[in-house]
Amino acid sequence: MIQSLDPHIMVRPLHLARALVLGLVLLAGCTGEPQPTSFAGVTVVGSSAYLASNLYVHKLDAGTGKEFWRFPGMQEGQEPVGPFAGQPVKLGNQIIVGGTLRFGDVPDRRLYAISDVDGSELWRFLGDDTTREYADGVETDGKLVFAPNGNGTLYALDPSQLQEGQPKVVWAFKTGNRLWSRPLVAAGRVYIPSLDHTLYAVDAAEGKEIWRFTAGASIASTPTLSEGRIYFGSFDQSFYALNAEDGALLWKAPVEGWIWCQALVDDDVVVVGDVKGKVYAFDAASGKRLWTAQTGGPVRAQPVAVGDYFYVVSFDSYLYRLPRRPALDANGATTVEPVRVLENGLGRRLLSTPQVFNSLLLVPLFDGDIKLVAVDLATGRKAYEFRVAP
Amino acid sequence: MGNIFDFLLVNPMTNALMLLYGALGNSYVLAIVALTLIIRLLTLPLTLRQQISAMKMSALQPQIKALQEKYKNDPQTLSQEMRKLGFNPLSGCLPLLIQFPILIAMYQAIIRTLAVTPLSLVELGSHTYSFLPGIASLVPINSTFLGIFDLGTPDRFFIIPILVVVTTYFANKLMTPPTTDPTMRQTNQMMQLMMPMMFGFFMLSTPVGLGIYWIVSNVAGVLQYYITKPALDRARAMHALPAVATADAQTAPGAAAPAKPLFEPPKAKVKVKAIGTVNRSAAVKKKGQPPRTGSPRS
Repeated sequence: MIQSLDPHIMVRPLHLARALVLGLVLLAGCTGEPQPTSFAGVTVVGSSAYLASNLYVHKLDAGTGKEFWRFPGMQEGQEPVGPFAGQPVKLGNQIIVGGTLRFGDVPDRRLYAISDVDGSELWRFLGDDTTREYADGVETDGKLVFAPNGNGTLYALDPSQLQEGQPKVVWAFKTGNRLWSRPLVAAGRVYIPSLDHTLYAVDAAEGKEIWRFTAGASIASTPTLSEGRIYFGSFDQSFYALNAEDGALLWKAPVEGWIWCQALVDDDVVVVGDVKGKVYAFDAASGKRLWTAQTGGPVRAQPVAVGDYFYVVSFDSYLYRLPRRPALDANGATTVEPVRVLENGLGRRLLSTPQVFNSLLLVPLFDGDIKLVAVDLATGRKAYEFRVAP
Repeated sequence: MGNIFDFLLVNPMTNALMLLYGALGNSYVLAIVALTLIIRLLTLPLTLRQQISAMKMSALQPQIKALQEKYKNDPQTLSQEMRKLGFNPLSGCLPLLIQFPILIAMYQAIIRTLAVTPLSLVELGSHTYSFLPGIASLVPINSTFLGIFDLGTPDRFFIIPILVVVTTYFANKLMTPPTTDPTMRQTNQMMQLMMPMMFGFFMLSTPVGLGIYWIVSNVAGVLQYYITKPALDRARAMHALPAVATADAQTAPGAAAPAKPLFEPPKAKVKVKAIGTVNRSAAVKKKGQPPRTGSPRS
C-alpha cells in the first residue's frame, strides 16, 4: 500500500480510471441485446399491431399480444438487418419500416417492405452513399411513401414501381440537417420538420417547396394539422401555430424545455409535452396557456385522448392520466396533478406514442426484453406483456 | 445518486461544453480543448496536493519500515504508532478520488453533447439549463472536423486511434516512475505498451470526439507535468526523494544511469528515539551521504 503512494505512481490510477470508464461503456454494448438508439413504434390496423422495436419488426394480435411473425427471421448466415425504429406503415399488403442506427452509431441505411402475410421481405430501398438512418419511420399518402433520412433528405418513393428491386424515387427534398422525425402528410402536402431549425411545406406530388418557417432552434416535433393550422414545437422552448396555407405565424407560446413531442389537438385545446417533463394545454385559436402538468421525465410521445382523460407516457417509465377538461383558473395558471395509471410504472423508459385498441392502450417500451405492454384502461391494470426472449 | 452526480458535475460540464462550442466559433474540437484545459486548471491544486502528500508519505517510509519491523507481532500498536507518525494513506488518494468523478462526468458530457442518436438528443435536451436558451440554437453540434472526421462516429481512417496510442504511450512513459526493482520495471514496460494499445482498440469503436478528448487530455497532462515539475522537484528535494527521472532515462538501452537519489533510505535498523521522530540525519551520516536540507515532516 505504501508503495502505491509513490508520487510518480499516482498518475497511473488516472489512466486506469479512464480505461475502466471506456471498458464499462463497451461492455454495456456487449451484454445481451444492444441498446436501442431510436424510439420503438407501434401501429394498429384492424385487429393487428405492428411493432418496430430494436432488432425486430413484429406482427401481433392487438388484443392478446400473440405474435404472428417477426422480421427478420434471423436465419444463420444471413446478413444482419436493422435495428428498426418508428411507427411501421401499412400500404396495401406491405409493412414499411426503416433501419436506424446500430450500437456504435453505424446506420443501417435501408428501408424495408415486409409482407403482411408472412413477414418475408418484399423489397429494400438502399438510397445512395449519403443515405443514413431512418430514426422515426415513414409516412404515406396511400400511394407514395415519404421517408425522412438522417442525411437530411426526404425521399418520396413509389412502391408500385420497382426498379431493379427498389421502389422508384419520385422526388427527393434536401434540407440542411438531419431528419429525425416523421413528416406530416395531409391535403396534398408534406410538412417536414428538420433539425436545421426549419419546417418545410412541400408539394406531395412533385416535391416542390411551398413555404418554409424557420424557428429559433431545431424542429423534431412532427406537426399536427387542424382547422387550417399547423402546430409544432421547437428546441427553442417555444410552441408554434402557423397558417397551413402560407406558413404565417399565428401565435407562439413559451414553454420550459425543448419540444420533441407531436401535439394532440382535442377540439379547441392543443396538448403537448416537453423534455423537461411538463405537459401543456393551449387554446388552439389564441395560444393562451390553459393548464400545465408535471411528469417525472421527458415527454417525447404524443398524448392520447381516451374517454375523459389524456394519457401521457414519460421517460420516467410511468403512464400518466390527466383530466381532459380540468377546472380552469381564470388566469390560466391551472396546474393539473397527473395520476399514475400503474403505481409501479412499466419499468422502462417510455418514449413512443401508445396506440389504442378497444379498451387497451398499447405502450411500446424503449428497451429490455418486454417490448410492449397493453394496459387495460377500464381496469387500470396490465392486460398483457409482449416479451422477446433474450 | 445518479441525479446528484448529474446535477453537480455532468450537467454543468454539458452546458459549459455547449457554451464554449458557441463561443469558439461552433468548433467542437476547440470546445473540448478549452474545457479539458479549464478542468485541468481547476483541479491543479488537487493534483499538486495529491502529489505532495504522496511524497510526504514516501518520505516517511524509512520510519514506517522501522516501525513495521519493531511491531511486526503487534499490529494494533503498529497502527497507533503509524498514526502518531502522521501516516495517512488516504491523504494521497483522496484528491485522486475526487478527480475520478470529474473524469467520468467529462466522458458523459461529451457523449451527451455530441448527441449522435435520437435518444442522446432527448437526454441532452433534458439536461441543458432552461435559463440558457441560446444553447438550444447550437443543436445539433456540427460534428464535422477537418472535413474528414465525423466526431460522432468511429474514425474510418484509424488516424485518431493511432494518435491516441501514440499520445497515451508517451504520456504514460513520461510519468511512469523510475524503479530499481527489476520485476516492477518489467511490469511498467508491459503496462506502457499494453495500455496505449488497449486505448487504441477502444477507439476503433468509439466516436472521434472522445478520441480527441483523450488526445488533448494526454497532451495537457504532459504539459502540466512539465509546468509543475520545478515545484515538485523542489518539494522532492525537501523530502529527500529521488530526483525526477523519466522511465526513458532508466530503461532505454544505452541510457545514462538514473540520477543518484539525494537520499537513500537507510537499510539498517533505525532506532526510534521518540514517538514520531527519527534521528535520520545520524543514519545518513553513517552511510556517508550528504545531510538533508529540509525537515522530514515539513
